[in-house]
Amino acid sequence: MPTTFKQIAAILNPPAPHMVGDGFRVHNFFPSGYKINMDPFYLLDYNAKIEFSARKHPRGVGVHPHRGFETVTIAYHGAVAHHDSAGNSGVINPGDIQWMTAASGILHKEYHEERYSQKGGPFQMVQLWVNLPAKYKMTAPKYQAIEHANIATFKLAEDSGVIEVIAGNYQSVKGSAFTYTPIELYNIRLKANGKAVLNTPEHYNTAMIVIEGSITINDTEKIDTNQMVHFNHTGTQIDIGSNEEAIVLFLSGAPINEPIAQYGPFLMNKPEELEQAIEDYNTGKFGYLEE
Amino acid sequence: MLEKFQSYLKQRLAITDEQAQEATSCLQTKQFKKGSILLRPGDLRSENYFINEGLLRCFSIDEKGKEHIIQFAPENWMISERNSSVFKEPSIFFIDAIENTEALIVPSHFFVDIQKLVPHILELNILMLHNSIRFMQKRINMLLSATAEERYLDFIKLYPNLTLRVPQWMIASYLGITPESLSRVRKDLAKKHFR
Repeated sequence: MPTTFKQIAAILNPPAPHMVGDGFRVHNFFPSGYKINMDPFYLLDYNAKIEFSARKHPRGVGVHPHRGFETVTIAYHGAVAHHDSAGNSGVINPGDIQWMTAASGILHKEYHEERYSQKGGPFQMVQLWVNLPAKYKMTAPKYQAIEHANIATFKLAEDSGVIEVIAGNYQSVKGSAFTYTPIELYNIRLKANGKAVLNTPEHYNTAMIVIEGSITINDTEKIDTNQMVHFNHTGTQIDIGSNEEAIVLFLSGAPINEPIAQYGPFLMNKPEELEQAIEDYNTGKFGYLEE
Repeated sequence: MLEKFQSYLKQRLAITDEQAQEATSCLQTKQFKKGSILLRPGDLRSENYFINEGLLRCFSIDEKGKEHIIQFAPENWMISERNSSVFKEPSIFFIDAIENTEALIVPSHFFVDIQKLVPHILELNILMLHNSIRFMQKRINMLLSATAEERYLDFIKLYPNLTLRVPQWMIASYLGITPESLSRVRKDLAKKHFR
């Protein structure tokens, strides 16, 4: 079969940033920044690299609930400490991934990790909201803490760099995270003049963000740091060449194609399920977590 | 921009679409940035606000600098400072925007003018006022006699989604309890209801 290159639908600049709590300065690429269909991914907040000054009391986001989906936090610079109402806690360090399945409901808080906060320095992260199909929305919450040292990694040919397979499969390497629907999520770390070839099914919704450096896609389009590329459905192959040392976050997934009802931190199928989520949160059914 | 206020009037005043459109045709909407103060103590302004989008609150600040919240006004609520808007006396409260807000400015004479348009409206308007008084009576009783938990349970019925939109201390301030005691209430509820 001849190679069919996936066509670029749009090259997107980061939308104007807003603060989430006082700890995250994020560019919301979707759903509000750009109206692109990225189902099963519902939201992508990108904290482009910024310097936070040193501070004794860590910046962050206080206690808040989630229901009906998963939050996936991918750290590049800086560190975040989290705690939840199920008693879990941990630190997300650079290179780590935290895959939190909120499902039926959890309360959590996310603050800059104490030592990072006291020193200050560069901070760069992505948070994705991955939707769950209706039949999994009310299952028990869980965590997958994936440390950088343990991520399933594919070494690219000609010493080009590596692909960290967070979820899905890259050639023979199976991703570290369990997912409820088919998802490909990779951190592609390329050396200067490195090359990587990606393949993803036509019907998957697909995008990538250039976290560091700059790349050329399919030998034609140059993409700079902090830009997102959204792909069309036609074609399956994407060639990436790095113009300098680069990091690219690649996301691609099979659409869930179910109705969406969203309010604040809840992502359900029907409006009445949102009302139920609000009532359950208000009456303590998500548990309790100290501020 | 006017549709929400028109349905608000239609629900309460039994008027036709045409009457609602005519009555509201001169009203203006304004955008208020989060944190902006619409009214300060001492101000004289015969304006009421109807919220299309966002959240306003009416509050006072005591001599120790503590805030006391009289009312929240999310979407489809009206908020007024009656000293200023009705009695032409200096305001004793603040009104500010807790979120970026789009509000309709409803001048106090609106409720007089609309009577010329719809004669039976006076009766209904009085009923609306009585409803506010009934609400205030209940709120006073809650503040005088209800436990912290009863106040909170009443609050989440009235304003279900505000727990997701305003900080805990503001809810505590509205309920007339300390933030610590609100935390205790929420903790006790979680103990009763968490799985």
